[in-house]
Amino acid sequence: MTETRFKSMKDLPARHLLGTGTALCSGCGGLEVLHETYDLLGEKTIFINAAGCMTLLSVYPYTPFEESWLYTSMASAPAGAQGIRDAFDILLAKGRLSPGEDLQTVVLTGDGAAYGMGLSATSGAIERNLDFLYLCYDNEGYGNTGQQTSAATPYGARTATSHGRRGNPGLKKDLFAIWAAHRPPYVATVVGAEPLDLARKIERAQKIRGPRLILALAPCPTGWGYNPEQTVEIGKLAVRTGIWPLKEFIDGKVVHTKIPKQRLPVTDYLQRQGRFAHLFTPKPNEPLLQEIQARVDAYWDELACSNQNTAD
Amino acid sequence: MYRIRFHGRGGQGMKTASRILGTAFFFEGFEVQDAPRYGAERRGAPIFAYVRADRKTIFERGVINNPGLIIVADDSLVGIPAAGVLHGIGTDTVVLIHSREHAEVWQNRLNLKGVLCILPATEEDGSLRTWRTIGAACSAAAAQLTGVVSWDAVVASLTEELSGLGGNWLAENLARAQWAYDQMSPFSGCVELETKETAALSTSVDWIDLPCEEAQWAAPAIHTGKTSEQAETGLWRTLRPVIDSERCKGCWWLCSTFCPDGAIQVDTAGRPQIDYAHCKGCLVCVAQCPAHAIDVHPEHSTE
Repeated sequence: MTETRFKSMKDLPARHLLGTGTALCSGCGGLEVLHETYDLLGEKTIFINAAGCMTLLSVYPYTPFEESWLYTSMASAPAGAQGIRDAFDILLAKGRLSPGEDLQTVVLTGDGAAYGMGLSATSGAIERNLDFLYLCYDNEGYGNTGQQTSAATPYGARTATSHGRRGNPGLKKDLFAIWAAHRPPYVATVVGAEPLDLARKIERAQKIRGPRLILALAPCPTGWGYNPEQTVEIGKLAVRTGIWPLKEFIDGKVVHTKIPKQRLPVTDYLQRQGRFAHLFTPKPNEPLLQEIQARVDAYWDELACSNQNTAD
Repeated sequence: MYRIRFHGRGGQGMKTASRILGTAFFFEGFEVQDAPRYGAERRGAPIFAYVRADRKTIFERGVINNPGLIIVADDSLVGIPAAGVLHGIGTDTVVLIHSREHAEVWQNRLNLKGVLCILPATEEDGSLRTWRTIGAACSAAAAQLTGVVSWDAVVASLTEELSGLGGNWLAENLARAQWAYDQMSPFSGCVELETKETAALSTSVDWIDLPCEEAQWAAPAIHTGKTSEQAETGLWRTLRPVIDSERCKGCWWLCSTFCPDGAIQVDTAGRPQIDYAHCKGCLVCVAQCPAHAIDVHPEHSTE
C-alpha cells in the first residue's frame, strides 16, 4: 500500500469546496460523493458533465463550482474532455497559459451514460490514453427522468420500466471489469458512505496521469425508495453485504480495499429499499432472493480462491 | 372552465393529486387537463400542479395564472415568495389550506376577500411518513368544493390511479379522501365555473417585444464561482436538524463529511455549524451522529 495522508477520518477536509444551493434531491448519494471528491481534487478542476441528474448542478447563472463546467450530451462527455484537454495542452505548449493555470479534466457522468450510451466514446478516450479522471455516480437507473432501467440497474430491482413480480430481468453490467480490460492506469470503486477509502483512492488517482475511473455507488432516496436520512446507512450496507465491493485496479492487478469480514445477508440491504419491496411482500420471493445471495457469494468465493492460489 | 392550482412540497403527491382530480372530472364527463410544472421536482421543494376542466374544448395551455381554486397542502409554503401560492389570486378565487390554524387566522393574515377553507391538519402531519395521503385528501376536498364531482367519481378515480400500488395504499387513501370530502360539504359548489372567455380578458405580456440583443448581453458571463449559494434551498426543509452543543463531541468529520450538500461547515473552534439557508433537511447528519447530538424539530415550531 502506498503512502497516504489520510490515516484516519480526522484527516478528511473540514471545509467544503462545492457550493450549496444546488437543485439535487435532499439526501442525494451522488452529490455526497461529488462534494467529498471535489474537496480533494481542489478548485483547479474543470468538470465535463454528461447529461443526467447532475445537469441540475449548474443551472445558468447558478453554479456550485469554482471553475468552469462544460455540459455535453449523454454520449459525448469523454469527447468533450478530449477537446478540453487538447486545448489546454496546446495553449500550455504555446505558452499562452502558464502551468499554474492548467486545470484537471474531470468527466462527471451518471450510470445511464457511463454504462450505456457513453461507453463507446469512453472506450475510445481510454484507448487514446486521454489524461482525465472519470467520475461516475451510479444510482443504478435513469434517475433524473424517473428511475427507468439502465445497464447499471441490479437484477430484480423495480424501476419505472421494470414492473412485475421479478423486477429488472437483466444483470448489472460490470463497468469496473470493462474499464480494467482496457488496461488503464487506474480504476476504483467507491461509495460516499466510506469517505476515508474514497479519499485514499482520489489521492492515488491524482498522482497518476492517463485515463482513471472512479466508480461511485450513489444511493438515491428518490429512485430507490427510502427516506433521505438513510443514504449513508444504505451505502454502508452495500459494502457490508458484499454487494458493492470496494476495490481498485492498479499496475494490472485488482486489489480489494475493504473486505467485509462477516458479510451480512443481502436481504439486510434489499429490504430497506422500496425498489425491492416486491421481493418481500406479500411473501418473500425466496428463489429470487437466494439467486441474488448466491451471485454475491460466488463473487467473494472466487476472490478467496484466487487469493489462496496467489499465496501458494 | 375550472382552473385549479395545487401547491405542495415534493413528496406530498401533488402531481398525483392533480391526476386524481383530473380523472374524477373526466368520469363526470368533463374535458380535462392535468399536469405538474416541470422544474426541480425534488423532495421538499415547492411543487405546482394544475387542473383545467370544462364542458367545452379547452384551448388554454401552460401554467394557470388566474386560478378559481388554490389548494395548499403545506401551509409553510404560503410565506415563501418562490412558492407563488397567492399568484394571480382574485376576489372570486377560493383558497383551501391544509393547516393546523383556523380559517379566521389565515383570513386575517392574508387579508383575503374570497372564500377560505381549512382542511384541518393533525400534529403528526409534519413528517414525511404522513404525507402519503395528503394528495388524495386535497383532491377529494377540491372535488367537493366544485360541487360537480360526485363521491362515486372520486372513488373511481382513486381506484384507477392508486390500485396499482398494492398494499393498503388504496384503502388508506380512500378513508382520508372520504374524510376530506365530508369536511368540505358545507362549502360544496363555492368554486364557480368561470364562463367568461379569457382570451378577451387577457392582456399581452411585456416580454413579447424583447429586442434581439447582442449575444454578449443576452448571455452574460459569470465572473465568480459558487453562485449556486444564491439559491436558498433551506426552504425545502420541513424538519430541522439542531446540534446540541452540550452533547456534540466535536468529532467534526462525520456530519460535515456526510452532509450531501456540504451544508455543514466546521468553525475554527472545531464545532460543526449547520447552514440553515441551504440545509434541505435530509437528516443524514442526525442518522450518522455517533453521539446522537443532533435533534429534529418540525420546521413550523422553530420560527
